Amino acid sequence: MGLIPNFKTLATRSPWLYRINAGSCNGCDVEMAVTALIPRYDVERLGCQYCGSPKHADIVLISGPLTVRVKDAVLRLYEEIPDPKVTVAVGVCPISGGIFRESYAVLAPIDQYIPIDVNVPGCPPRPQAIIAGVAKAIEIWRERL
Amino acid sequence: MNFLTLFARNLRTGPQTEAFPLGPAFTPEKLRGRIVFNAENCEGCRICERVCPAGAIKFAKSPDGMTFDCWHNTCVFCGNCEFYCPTDAIHQTNDWNLAHVQADKFAMVEHGLIPNMKCSDCGATALNTAPMVKNVKPPLSEAELGEVRSRCPKCRAKYLKNRKVPS
Repeated sequence: MGLIPNFKTLATRSPWLYRINAGSCNGCDVEMAVTALIPRYDVERLGCQYCGSPKHADIVLISGPLTVRVKDAVLRLYEEIPDPKVTVAVGVCPISGGIFRESYAVLAPIDQYIPIDVNVPGCPPRPQAIIAGVAKAIEIWRERL
Repeated sequence: MNFLTLFARNLRTGPQTEAFPLGPAFTPEKLRGRIVFNAENCEGCRICERVCPAGAIKFAKSPDGMTFDCWHNTCVFCGNCEFYCPTDAIHQTNDWNLAHVQADKFAMVEHGLIPNMKCSDCGATALNTAPMVKNVKPPLSEAELGEVRSRCPKCRAKYLKNRKVPS
């Protein structure tokens, strides 16, 4: 190894999170913001940090049932995220459609369009449940890297 | 006055980070979480399927009886099923930790079976549901409940009609 640090072990310590809102009601987004921003639930203990650009992201949190209007934007955004990426579906909407299931305006479940790795059901899920999902996602991400 | 005690406590101890996922998480007793179904108490009225806003609950006929399935990935934890259930067969636990990997997506199901049985009176095949005897006066004894339960719906009605009420 010598002077060159082992970038793999360094990088696996700090996955960066990115949020995509695929037509969510904002309930799950509020919970996701809460897991990161307030010290009570502190997702940064796991080495995670929210980033503003999809090009820096490692773990993607998707909320919302993928409405027809927002589909192209979400798919374009998802393409911009570099591999390897781990996708977490937050809330019941992206997983199955939840309360909007079988609506004409909604393309749920989202795994028809985007490969999902971890599901966190709930309407909305508790901040602790989202942290548990992120912890699962980090394990998957370490294997992929 | 409550906020003053809170204020004093926060000044004294400071804000805390929850231990989860490195330790146990605080869970309120009445948190609305995962649903559990008790087939023993179900009377088969299917009101929970009707009131479920997300369509998470499905009943289906099978050769062994009637099956109950609740997919946790569509359930929105509203509690309608528990509220409307006449016999307390369906309950919400405070279990919130439902995060799972994609491979387990369709395994997140609460499954129950109301089995078939032979009516002890006429021998017809019927579902072994809990009897609807909430409003029967005077209330049925344990032995009577068992007798009602072992009959098909028609014989149950007959049994209750012919029941001798001590006055």
